[in-house]
Amino acid sequence: MALLRLVLPLLLLAALWEGAVALLQISPFYLPPLRQVLGAIWALGPAYAQAFMVTLGEAVAGFVVGGLVGVVSATAFHHQRWLRDMLFPLFVASQTVPVIAFGAIVVLWFGNTLLAKAAIAFYLTFFPVTVNALAGFEAVDPRQVALLRSFGASRRDIWWKLLLPSALPRIFTALRLSAGLALAGAIVGEWFGASIGVGAMLLAALFNEQVVAMWAAILTAAAVGGAIFGVVALVEARLVFWRDEL
Amino acid sequence: MTDAADQLDQLLTVGEAPAARAKLQLNGVSRRFGAVQALAKVDLGIAEGEFVTLIGPSGCGKSTLFNIVAGLLEADTGGEVLLDGAATSLLGKVAFMPQRDLLLPWRNVLDNAILAAEVEGRPKRAARETARAMAADFGLKGFEDHYPQQLSGGMRQRVALMRTFMFDRDLMLLDEPFGALDALTRAMMQRWLLDIWSRYRRTILFITHDIDEAIFLGDRVVVMSARPGSIKLERRVELPRPRDPALLTTPAFNAIKRELLDAVEEESMKTFAAGAA
Repeated sequence: MALLRLVLPLLLLAALWEGAVALLQISPFYLPPLRQVLGAIWALGPAYAQAFMVTLGEAVAGFVVGGLVGVVSATAFHHQRWLRDMLFPLFVASQTVPVIAFGAIVVLWFGNTLLAKAAIAFYLTFFPVTVNALAGFEAVDPRQVALLRSFGASRRDIWWKLLLPSALPRIFTALRLSAGLALAGAIVGEWFGASIGVGAMLLAALFNEQVVAMWAAILTAAAVGGAIFGVVALVEARLVFWRDEL
Repeated sequence: MTDAADQLDQLLTVGEAPAARAKLQLNGVSRRFGAVQALAKVDLGIAEGEFVTLIGPSGCGKSTLFNIVAGLLEADTGGEVLLDGAATSLLGKVAFMPQRDLLLPWRNVLDNAILAAEVEGRPKRAARETARAMAADFGLKGFEDHYPQQLSGGMRQRVALMRTFMFDRDLMLLDEPFGALDALTRAMMQRWLLDIWSRYRRTILFITHDIDEAIFLGDRVVVMSARPGSIKLERRVELPRPRDPALLTTPAFNAIKRELLDAVEEESMKTFAAGAA
């Protein structure tokens, strides 16, 4: 049933694509038929699979580290007011630097490595997670904290048994948002000279005016984004099963 | 005694019959928040195994007193809080139950009940066993795996009480545990609490707004004065135990109620006048 709900809209979108191209006689330069795009992917299967894996790896590495750093810094900010007053404005300022500008520097520093792309994905991930996790920690009922303290709970107990679970719904909201951002970060990173990956493919197709290949790269990027988002949603459904019942 | 009850006695420390020794002794306890004097020289002793109920007008510093006894708040210097005759930090020494049940929505009934035990470092599995054995006593049999959102208000409150009992301390602090319940559920819970109390024998300090509840439950009713809060009146309740609802209409009960009402009324008027000024 859940699978059907997932597959059905996709099939619908595919049918719409095919139908529109055929009925409205859209020039393949603007939108090639879906069949042709899928055919291109099929023909170069291993290349697209490799691009998928490479970009997925970059995005996930940045995403995971960004998520962890976000939760850790939110924890530090929650417990140490002065740290928050000192560093939080810096966090905000960091996000006003366009990722493109930042990307050039990172590639300059780390070269054309996985680390460079992951760093950009990280840069886009950690901030939303920090903000949301912090909001989640601050929203915890102080009476709940008092109750745990009356049981003799240590700070660690309180964090682990109360603060973190309470903040999970908000953290996952941020993670779902960041899943797309991390992918965008990885792709932008690839634009600064990578030869493998979805972003590199996209750029190559653009320069060669291969419209079909561009669409193929876009579909591959969508698959990467969908994979990350899907895993996040699955983990969320397991961990935050109680949210809908509140 | 049934097998289940026997088993329970082994799982939990069952207190001894009431003795004269003071479990908790407050001597001249005061607390000031900035310009507001919340408590002024509270003197109160609670004997081991005793059930003391505390009433007072709203804003009289009951919660402040509670937080001090729970170890969540320091009393101002000059007063002393003695548990078993010793002035130690009370955090982790008193089983405290706040007004709201404060159950965690991601834990089922058993796991909410063992929260305190878990914090103490008891193995989860053993704690769950104990909780499972206690569930029937708390009217939660068959609901062990339910989540708080699936329970009624009365049941949630019983889970919270079970959590408090599982935190195996001789002194229990209950802050209006039945305040949010409807009258019928409330009456049922009161009788049930007395039943549980007589079986597990703990020392209880119970805050309430309800004079009937205070008399029905307590060995002794303590009335607090309007702010700054201090002890205005202590009234021993010599009504026989076990108590049943018929007690509420007896002349003896009404005589005590009359006396307490007068005291509470007087203090409420003071609060009212202070608020109007």
